[in-house]
Amino acid sequence: MAISKEAYKVLESIVGAEYISADPTICEGYRAGPGGYECGLGYERVMTKVPGCVIMPRTTEEVQKIVKVCNRYKIPFVPYSTGWYGARSHPHVADELLIDLKRMDDFEIDDKHLYAVVGPGVIYSQLQEEAMRRGMYIIVGGGGSQVSAIANMIGDGWSPLSYRIGLPHRRILGTELVLPDGEIVLMGSLALQDDPFWGDGLGPDLRGLLRGFTGHRGCLGIVTKMAIKLMPFQPERLEPTGISPHTTLQLPTNRVRWINFTMPSRDSMKEAMFEMAKAEIGAGVTKVPLFWRAIAKARSKEEFWELWSKESEETISNFHVLRVLLVGFASEEQLEYEEQVLMDIIAELGGEARRTRPSDESWFKNADSAGMWLMCGGYVSVDYVIETIEHAIPHGENYAKLKRKFTPPLMPDYGDPGWFQSFELGHQGYSEFLVYWDPDENTDGVDHFYLETSKENIRKRFYTSLLGPHQPLYLTGPAYGPNYHKWLLAVKNEFDPNFVCHPPVPLAHDEFVERAEWMKPLKDWEGPEIAPKL
Amino acid sequence: MPKKKVSLDVTQVENFIFDMNRCIKCKGCTWVDHIYMPGIKFSTRCPSATRYLFDSYGAYGKMRIGLALAEGKLDYSDKLLEILYACTLCGACDVGCKRNLDLEIELTLEAIRIKAVKDGKGPMPEHKKIANNIATKHNSFGAPHENRRKWLPEGMKPASKAEVLYFVGCSASYTNPEIAQATVKILNASGTPFMLMPDEWCCGNALYSVGMMGEAQALARRNVEAVKQTGATTLLTSCAEGYRMWKVDYPKILNMSTADLGFRVVHLVEYVDELIKKGTLKPTKRVDLRLTYHDSCSLSRLSEPWVPWEGERGLWGVVAPPLERRRGANGVYQQPRDILSSIPGVELVEMPRMRENAFCCGAGRGTKEAFPDFALWAARQRLEEVKEVGAEAVVSACPWCKDNFAQAVKKNGGNLKVLDISELILASVEV
Repeated sequence: MAISKEAYKVLESIVGAEYISADPTICEGYRAGPGGYECGLGYERVMTKVPGCVIMPRTTEEVQKIVKVCNRYKIPFVPYSTGWYGARSHPHVADELLIDLKRMDDFEIDDKHLYAVVGPGVIYSQLQEEAMRRGMYIIVGGGGSQVSAIANMIGDGWSPLSYRIGLPHRRILGTELVLPDGEIVLMGSLALQDDPFWGDGLGPDLRGLLRGFTGHRGCLGIVTKMAIKLMPFQPERLEPTGISPHTTLQLPTNRVRWINFTMPSRDSMKEAMFEMAKAEIGAGVTKVPLFWRAIAKARSKEEFWELWSKESEETISNFHVLRVLLVGFASEEQLEYEEQVLMDIIAELGGEARRTRPSDESWFKNADSAGMWLMCGGYVSVDYVIETIEHAIPHGENYAKLKRKFTPPLMPDYGDPGWFQSFELGHQGYSEFLVYWDPDENTDGVDHFYLETSKENIRKRFYTSLLGPHQPLYLTGPAYGPNYHKWLLAVKNEFDPNFVCHPPVPLAHDEFVERAEWMKPLKDWEGPEIAPKL
Repeated sequence: MPKKKVSLDVTQVENFIFDMNRCIKCKGCTWVDHIYMPGIKFSTRCPSATRYLFDSYGAYGKMRIGLALAEGKLDYSDKLLEILYACTLCGACDVGCKRNLDLEIELTLEAIRIKAVKDGKGPMPEHKKIANNIATKHNSFGAPHENRRKWLPEGMKPASKAEVLYFVGCSASYTNPEIAQATVKILNASGTPFMLMPDEWCCGNALYSVGMMGEAQALARRNVEAVKQTGATTLLTSCAEGYRMWKVDYPKILNMSTADLGFRVVHLVEYVDELIKKGTLKPTKRVDLRLTYHDSCSLSRLSEPWVPWEGERGLWGVVAPPLERRRGANGVYQQPRDILSSIPGVELVEMPRMRENAFCCGAGRGTKEAFPDFALWAARQRLEEVKEVGAEAVVSACPWCKDNFAQAVKKNGGNLKVLDISELILASVEV
């Protein structure tokens, strides 16, 4: 145990002996990999460590005390809610304290004012069920129902259902943040009174700082409580049916309906998104990659590969399926009206409705995101852009071209240009590029591709969401700032003067490139001098 | 990529390195299937992870620990053994993982325990005591072997030869005779001639579950041979754990298919369900009770038949020849519900966690003996759920569940009835 006995005793006195352990077996159970999001790649192998100690606080006060002890004894720490976000949410330096927040699972819901107050231990499916039972709903991020709602709200937090209500930063209401030095920051209406119902508070809106674009992976403190805005839903129950692995929500088709359309071209899908937005109809709309269909059809990994190996560049380039969700939020008549408008739009664009199952297992209570690992064993989304629909489509196409150079070790996908969809009723476009590989193969090429996507974004001026905590800060910062990196480090230094909160994030990918021999040939930018206090 | 030879042989932990490697910490093993997520309360299905909280007790932790152990990067310790054995091997993690990832979690956990025993570190001292009881008295309690048939109701004479052989098991023979008595009375009421094993021994559930493969194998051979000698075509159990041993673990241990055992293995609920549907048995007597049914793990998600498999794994982890994975979808879920629903007066209410999402009672597979507090804690968690749905009684189909619930009720106080399904069936058919 590298944390001194004295420090351990102090920490133990905060939470009690039952909720702290430096036992090597307990700590081994918290290892990031070898499997998981981005795991099995160089970043996980080089940059993650087994924690030196694990502690499980119950209250905000305990978190504050723990963090203050860490500052006093210079113990690096990382906040951890469910551990889902793979390598980047695990310890990066030796003898780090992992602060496991799962005991902080307090939950309150206000169905009159449509919000819930949650702790970091509450996951999305819990929140969604409680919300739906009361006629409300929340966007369950693509990461899945198993993620901490708070962690996802400050990091990602979108899905095809974001079409209607956009990114989650506006749905973050009153929030309690323990800074890396133990000070508490109350945000939104919590700053004024003991009521978190409103997102705006005194002074500048700190939600931007909290989230950035896609979060800071825990390097700017620990969110211990958050009020999350819920939206009104329709009144009928989405009925769970089936036995695992074939479980699904049966949709009340008079109020909720997915419809898949075969479209003549990618352009027509784009046009449909614009037309739907103009008509202000729909609750979700996304392009369906052919890949998803193979996943949905296959009953096993082996069957997936049998199906997938029959595809080709031609089938991929001719596959244009648009998936639209209609919800009669206000009435059955709303759904009927929207369906008629939608059918008109699709007909004008030359599309055709396909038979679509009246069920959902991917978006309302996303139960199948973990299935992304079934086919190959390794998976990461190398980039997402949130800009316009016009911007999103070429982003995927460019990546598909770039990816050819790195296939293998990447999974053969016949030039699939990824997935795009519309947010904010067409005002935003989204593109996400997912890659898969076999972790038993040499994965250097995957590490290279991951970094090359950043360079491609800079070259082609794609507005990436993955900056500091996901890519080399000194590569992306000057390009997107020009002083993004300097500002982020200035904030970090201000909040975390001892650099104890999840070091070396946000410079972790910079350090990875320095430490991994196979990454060095790619380094053609001015790097930071990694701060001695790391 | 060169293909690797691999099989489902649990005596070689190396067969499961792939599964340990591919765990992604989605924690589908711990949470209730998100489609069925009941909300903030009753949201987990893994007793071990829920009780001990550290990730290390969840399957995701155990996969990492097992991998480090298999690769010689972690030493045995008391804590490690506690993590391995304070687990009911209830299969919740396995069906959870196979919802999306198809990893062999249950087999991996069994293989790690077998390795621990092979390495001279496992099982727990309490398990060694059970093993000694079985070796010397042929039952897990250490009770006199000659008392094994004491449960037989007066005047009840099993046939010396019959198609159906009732394997009673240690619990129903010694600690829960009411289950054995109800079972044979039901068989009588349905006009089913049955026999008992001439010399019944323990099924060896605890031995196999804690990793004592050699001892379990010897017992499996002896028992299977003994049943074959009787000429019975159907082996009937009233114990879920015994059912799983006969149907799944004996074939697994003996490297054969369930179909090749030479006789059919059925649980009382399967047998009675068939009889009721055929009209041979009629539950006509009224039982006015609002009750809930607890799915015993070994009868439900762990009960799919066993088929040995060996082959190769290549690129992307694809295996050949095809592997029909046991995902728990075909467990005995519906039959007990149909039986209970057919009894006049019974109002069957479901708990939030049911079927493959059920929360284990905490008693099975050597847990109660080594970690009695944990077992009672798990039972209390389940009883909270019983209370939540306002049931007057909790009904299960396993003496281990019944016994553990009954102890928890006794300790907690209250007037909740704890019943085995055989007792209810009997109450509804007895003349």
